[in-house]
Amino acid sequence: MGQTASERKGAVMVVGGGVAGVQTALDLTELGYYVYLVEKGAAVGGVMAQLDKTFPTNDCSL
Amino acid sequence: MADYNPRILGFLCNWCCYAAADAAGVSRYQYPPNLRTVRVMCTGRVDPAFIIKGFIEGAAGIFTGG
Amino acid sequence: MEGEPGNFSVTLNLRPRFIDADKCTACGLCTTYCPRHLVDAYNEGLDLTRPIHIDYPQAVPATYFIDPNACLHLQHGTCKICVPVCRSHAIDFGQQPEKRTLAVGAVVMAPGFGRVPESTLAKYGYGAHPDVVTSIEFERMLNASGPFKGEVQRLSDRKHPKRIAFIQCVGSRDIGCDNGYCSSVCCMYAIKEAMVAKEHDPEVDITIFYMDIRTQGKDFDNARIRAEEHFGIKFVRAKVADVMPWREKIKITYATMDGRHAFEPFDMVVLSVGLDAPADARRLADIAGFELNKYDFCKTATFAPLATSRPGVLVAGAFQGPKDIPESVTQASAAAGSAAALLREQRKAGIVVKSYPDEKPVEEEEVRIGVFVCHCGINIGSVVDVPDVDRYVEGKEGVVYHAQTLYACSQDAQEVIKEKIREHNLNRVVVAACSPRTHEPLFQETLKDAGLNRCLFEMVNIRDQCSWVHANEPEAATDKSKDLVRMGIAKARHIQPLPEQTVPVTPRALILGGGPAGMTAALAIAEQGFECYLVEKASRLGGSLRDMHYMLDGSDPAKLLADLVARIEANDRIKVFTNATLKAVGGFVGNFSSVLAVKKGKGEQEQTVEHGVIVVATGGQEHRPDKYLLGQSKKVLTQTELEKRLAGRAKNRAPKSTVMIQCAGSRGDDLAYCSKVCCTHAVKNALKIKELDPSAQVIVLYRDLRTYGYAEDAYREAREKGVIFIPYEVDRKPQVVKKGNRVVVEFFDPLLQEEVSMTPEVVALSVGYVPQDTEQLSKLLKTPVTEHKFFMEAHVKLRPVEMAVDGVYVCGMAHSPKPLDEIIVQAQAAAAKAAMPLVKGEVEVEPIVSQVNKDLCIGCSLCVNLCPYQAIQMVKEGKKRKAETIAASCKACGICASHCPTFAISMGGFTNEQINAQIEAFGAQEEETTNG
Repeated sequence: MGQTASERKGAVMVVGGGVAGVQTALDLTELGYYVYLVEKGAAVGGVMAQLDKTFPTNDCSL
Repeated sequence: MADYNPRILGFLCNWCCYAAADAAGVSRYQYPPNLRTVRVMCTGRVDPAFIIKGFIEGAAGIFTGG
Repeated sequence: MEGEPGNFSVTLNLRPRFIDADKCTACGLCTTYCPRHLVDAYNEGLDLTRPIHIDYPQAVPATYFIDPNACLHLQHGTCKICVPVCRSHAIDFGQQPEKRTLAVGAVVMAPGFGRVPESTLAKYGYGAHPDVVTSIEFERMLNASGPFKGEVQRLSDRKHPKRIAFIQCVGSRDIGCDNGYCSSVCCMYAIKEAMVAKEHDPEVDITIFYMDIRTQGKDFDNARIRAEEHFGIKFVRAKVADVMPWREKIKITYATMDGRHAFEPFDMVVLSVGLDAPADARRLADIAGFELNKYDFCKTATFAPLATSRPGVLVAGAFQGPKDIPESVTQASAAAGSAAALLREQRKAGIVVKSYPDEKPVEEEEVRIGVFVCHCGINIGSVVDVPDVDRYVEGKEGVVYHAQTLYACSQDAQEVIKEKIREHNLNRVVVAACSPRTHEPLFQETLKDAGLNRCLFEMVNIRDQCSWVHANEPEAATDKSKDLVRMGIAKARHIQPLPEQTVPVTPRALILGGGPAGMTAALAIAEQGFECYLVEKASRLGGSLRDMHYMLDGSDPAKLLADLVARIEANDRIKVFTNATLKAVGGFVGNFSSVLAVKKGKGEQEQTVEHGVIVVATGGQEHRPDKYLLGQSKKVLTQTELEKRLAGRAKNRAPKSTVMIQCAGSRGDDLAYCSKVCCTHAVKNALKIKELDPSAQVIVLYRDLRTYGYAEDAYREAREKGVIFIPYEVDRKPQVVKKGNRVVVEFFDPLLQEEVSMTPEVVALSVGYVPQDTEQLSKLLKTPVTEHKFFMEAHVKLRPVEMAVDGVYVCGMAHSPKPLDEIIVQAQAAAAKAAMPLVKGEVEVEPIVSQVNKDLCIGCSLCVNLCPYQAIQMVKEGKKRKAETIAASCKACGICASHCPTFAISMGGFTNEQINAQIEAFGAQEEETTNG
């Protein structure tokens, strides 16, 4: 256990870069933690990035 | 009256009227395009001199929203 | 993944992009040269892209990548055209898959949701007919930057459809495909897509076929009503039996409630597909060692909604159960808070502080303004003539650079802005786009990255206050945009850098309300290591949790209550005030000072407390409609009263016959809104009755049965156990009347098509919930409430637990009615958000506060008397008295500046000079438009 990055204390891994994962990661950094955000695709955003608008205000989703 | 196209200068408070004007946009309410706005952090910022200056500069009316 | 909480070791497989992210500038040249076509998955296969591509221009990271399964070189060893094309030499076919081991203290699982299998969609003609599309395909069609540039087209003949049908519950509420749950989001997105389609083409005729319209979220019913009344979208309660091609159209056969069959032709059919479990859920669960539920979503419990079965592994978002964006965002914050509490000892051990280049002094330089005019996709560009506005900027005094941008807020655009600042030595930036209230911080950050003081920025609002509100007057909107941009540039000529200021934070929270939300929030904040005051109006903690006696999943609310109270009592960071209310609040984020009134015997004692943040968790209570004989007959109970009776010990506590009336008081009755919890509450009580006495008769009269999520299982179980559900229409509400000693319920049965009257032993009313004391509190806290008196969040989607006032957060029923698991999550989320300023230990003061020029000040103290925030004091300077601003208290309102007789007070970012320049620019319109 603990090879390359094991020196880094206070890190959290977030699996999934959709809106939930991104928000978790952002909040964790605000709370004082280093975050590894792991996403299988080439970009974060998840399904929300595919949406045109959001209910009920029809704000832009991106 | 159909041709009447007054130019109105508005001073909008960031916290209420400016926010409300944004919300009107989000809800897509439509209103006449005659207003030109200056955002202030509070209508308390609006010095009476600004209003006089607005009229001198040709405003048909001054709107303060706060 | 191995190890234990606080010390996990995880191994990741990193797949290569074949492009060096540090070198790629996202210019897109490679894609134009790549010779091979690839079906564009981002656009749901409705468009083509190339193996080397980026999904969408705003993608983060803004780096292209190569799909190894499609690339000619990676598949066949040929091609490589892209390599010499790339000017920044970013393409690197030598990249190899990499294994990396990380040490982490906690893991949050947020893999989202998966897709309903095509075999389920095929039942509705998907695949057999090109004009049967999924809702996500339709979403891409509606999108201005989507495959058809926002034009809705039939895939078969590229014509605009004139009649569109939406079919709800595809892959949801369907045990045929093993998805017994309700996906909780489809009704909302279907309504949204239908409304947007109507905006694109007002002539289009849209029908939504549904079983129940489940718009149970906060203010969601309004949208449904607007869809029907304003947009003329038709809602048909029917089960779709068949979808088949019929000449050039698609024929839908459906069965309505009264048992009749009908069919109608449509040009296009949209399937409202549900949220399935992620395809790799099982694999993730095996690797990380946590359990799944029977639907392959993550298994969690009502009282610990975000804890997986493995300690140290949390879950957030749709993987916990199908849910919408605000719920996902709320869960995300809550999960972050829980992980942070778990790793309290390691806090700040791993963070890297972002550094900015040194600020370039600009005071002595000539003004060099850069102007960026944003299209915002079609949001601005479809109304305002953006190229014309951009041309108009040319030659304006001080402007040395100007350009258009598709999305000014996108990451690639930020890079462009930084580049242009350097290239043209810009020292003022004007962006004409959306509202500074939402986007100014983003651009200010970009300025900081480019070595400019963030105040050297001015934003012009040509979207929210122009293109959106003058959609039918493009010319006038363009003129207005020009005027506003001219005024913005005029102001920009006078803006100056302002220093950053910070104030320390009192590391303590005030929590209002000692119900489930308040207790959870208090514990969460205490577990983060901070003290809190927990203020409860009643004589003991518990709130609405005391009204709950059993849960659908069998867990025991009394146990939760006892556990919460015991943990609070044992936690010396939490100080509880009972019989206490908030009397006054002063101060600002980080430095609040509040007065509590605590009842002592017959009197009242006041106590002042200092704290850095406030969490509002004042809860709600059952509404008591003055109707349906409630309070006039003992046979008429609310669901909460019925629950209490059923949880009691009386032998005949299960009534032999019960009629439940849903929305008694809600959804346009007394209360305009849906209270979200009543349908599930009714089903819970109905099941309890059936458990106590299987022969008892239970009839539920409802409008839309809103047992969203996994509660749908309970609804199905209730029907299987013989509970009868009968829908009613709002114009034919059930009546409850007294006939002698009997209480009679009269209603119309749509199946029988006739009026029915019943004489049940008990009539149970689902009455809805109202907030408590929010109006007074809103005045004290200066935070707005909605028209229904619930607290309004700062942003419905993205800031669901924050309020408009910094440092004030909301959770539980004070925000909107919601079930216990959602209350717990929201309380954890509010606690996480509230902990942020406490963790930081300081808050940044906006640099726009007032400043007194002491040389000009004559010491009249007019400003001190006028300041509503006590933010100016008089100080002695030698023999004279001078005014001085207390930066941390200043709200930048500018009353002082507008009243100072000697113009000694200046407002950062809103100086007399700047505002006068804007007014002059306003006046400069006439001479300029003549040549424009």
